[in-house]
Amino acid sequence: MTAEETENKSLDELQIEQLEHSDPHRTEQYKSISKGEKLVSIQNLSMVYKTDESETVAIQDFNLDVMKGELVSIIGPSGCGKTTILRAIAGLLKPTGGRIMIGNKECIGSGPDRSMVFQDFALFPWRSVRKNVEFGLEIAGVPKEERKERAMRYLKAVGLENFANSRVHELSGGMKQRVGIARAMITKPDVILMDEPFGSLDAQTRNIMQASLVNMLAKTDTTVIFVTHSVDEAVYLSDRIVVLTKRPAHIKEIVKVPWLRPRDRSSPECTAMRKEILGELEKENVMN
Amino acid sequence: MYQFKYDKHNKYHRAVQQTAIVIVSLVIFVEAWWVLSILANTPAVPTPGETWDALVNLVNNGDTVTDISLWSYIGASLGTFLKGFLLALLVAVPLGLILGTFNTLNEFATPIIEILRPIAPIAWAPILILAINYTIGPILVVFIGIFFPLLTNVVFGVSKIDSSLLDAAKTLGASRAQIFVKVMVPSTVPYIMNGVKVGLGIGWMCIVAAELYAPTLAGIGYFLSEQATLGYWPGAFAAIIVIAVLGLLTTGVAEYVHKFIAKRMGMDV
Repeated sequence: MTAEETENKSLDELQIEQLEHSDPHRTEQYKSISKGEKLVSIQNLSMVYKTDESETVAIQDFNLDVMKGELVSIIGPSGCGKTTILRAIAGLLKPTGGRIMIGNKECIGSGPDRSMVFQDFALFPWRSVRKNVEFGLEIAGVPKEERKERAMRYLKAVGLENFANSRVHELSGGMKQRVGIARAMITKPDVILMDEPFGSLDAQTRNIMQASLVNMLAKTDTTVIFVTHSVDEAVYLSDRIVVLTKRPAHIKEIVKVPWLRPRDRSSPECTAMRKEILGELEKENVMN
Repeated sequence: MYQFKYDKHNKYHRAVQQTAIVIVSLVIFVEAWWVLSILANTPAVPTPGETWDALVNLVNNGDTVTDISLWSYIGASLGTFLKGFLLALLVAVPLGLILGTFNTLNEFATPIIEILRPIAPIAWAPILILAINYTIGPILVVFIGIFFPLLTNVVFGVSKIDSSLLDAAKTLGASRAQIFVKVMVPSTVPYIMNGVKVGLGIGWMCIVAAELYAPTLAGIGYFLSEQATLGYWPGAFAAIIVIAVLGLLTTGVAEYVHKFIAKRMGMDV
């Protein structure tokens, strides 16, 4: 585990590592630091949007490796392309260049091995809570009884077993997202993609959900790629934080977050890291 | 003395108030009609009293000219109406779903549809009824009446599908066919229901009008036409009342079904 490896380094050394800024041509430096097993490899990803008048380069030669079991946050100024990266990994967008590998196979299109949790929950309103969670299994052809049983297990894991037959609109925002998470996890994906999953929730619910997520992930070794606007959230949740520049997004820096979870948001380390990253983001937003 | 205070939060008070309003409104209407009838002083505008007598007679004895009962007439009208409705449903819904999904097809179909749509369904009645057949003709007139609004609503419904639901289905591994059946169709149901509601209203108007053309001894529209031709005005007005009531019932049922489905599906529209 990352935490054990870095426990011996002093805080100073870690901070020095974190403060080294990216040189876009030396992408080697930003490939995975830990000696863990590489799971997701994003290679030279590019996304160019063409309109009648012009071309917009959303992403250009983006490279990132994600280790199995780690939670990587992607954070950056608004509009930098972080959601585009995530959607490209999910297969919802076809990148104009580069490729994405999971293990040894290249990702083509979308699939349940890379399921996604959405900011607006994207739950099917005509289905009950349980049937929403069952959706991925239905697609895969899992028989009815088994589907039901597995869905109930996952609902129990997110604390919603009493709401199995409720309608989606009867749930609060936090509960809906828990259903969304259960639905994404039930297909046992290689990596879960989360697109600002707590962005629609109020601040208190958001903090509660972050703690829930940490809890849920502690029980499995799921790999998560997490896009967020909130530095606080990234510091609380991640093993590594990928900070992007403005569009077209390059990696500005990758910050390692070595502390064990659950973390104390108000601890001096977390506060210092938050301040540092916010400072970097501010620079991105001001620079022309 | 006991003072009655109206509490707008009490649902019984509200119900009573609503009923009272409806009754008063109807009474005013009937009174106005009565006055109008006396002023007009022509047999063509019977008084509510005469109309009521004719209505009671119609219910009890049916059509005294042809010896057919009222229920038989109603059954014939409703039967034709339902057949036209089902046909429209079977054609417009799948077609709407396909056109909504495949843009190119939609572009091809739109000019044809836009030319045909503004033609009042009843304009087709002479051709359909007199050229084809008295049974199938009216069914087709109803079909045309319901088809266009239903089709429009279905196509619109497809365009309104929440794209993040499609994304969610894709990231859970759904194939295109599975997305169509498991996400697109259920998403469109509220819009289909809306189209059905609109279509039913128009369809009911069509059946009555179509029956005026079909000398088939069937249907309440036929009865209306017969009474008017023979100059039995109270009977004609009684027929109109029957038509109005049936229209209310069909729309009422449609409304109820719509609410039921909307609730069950947890969607609004």
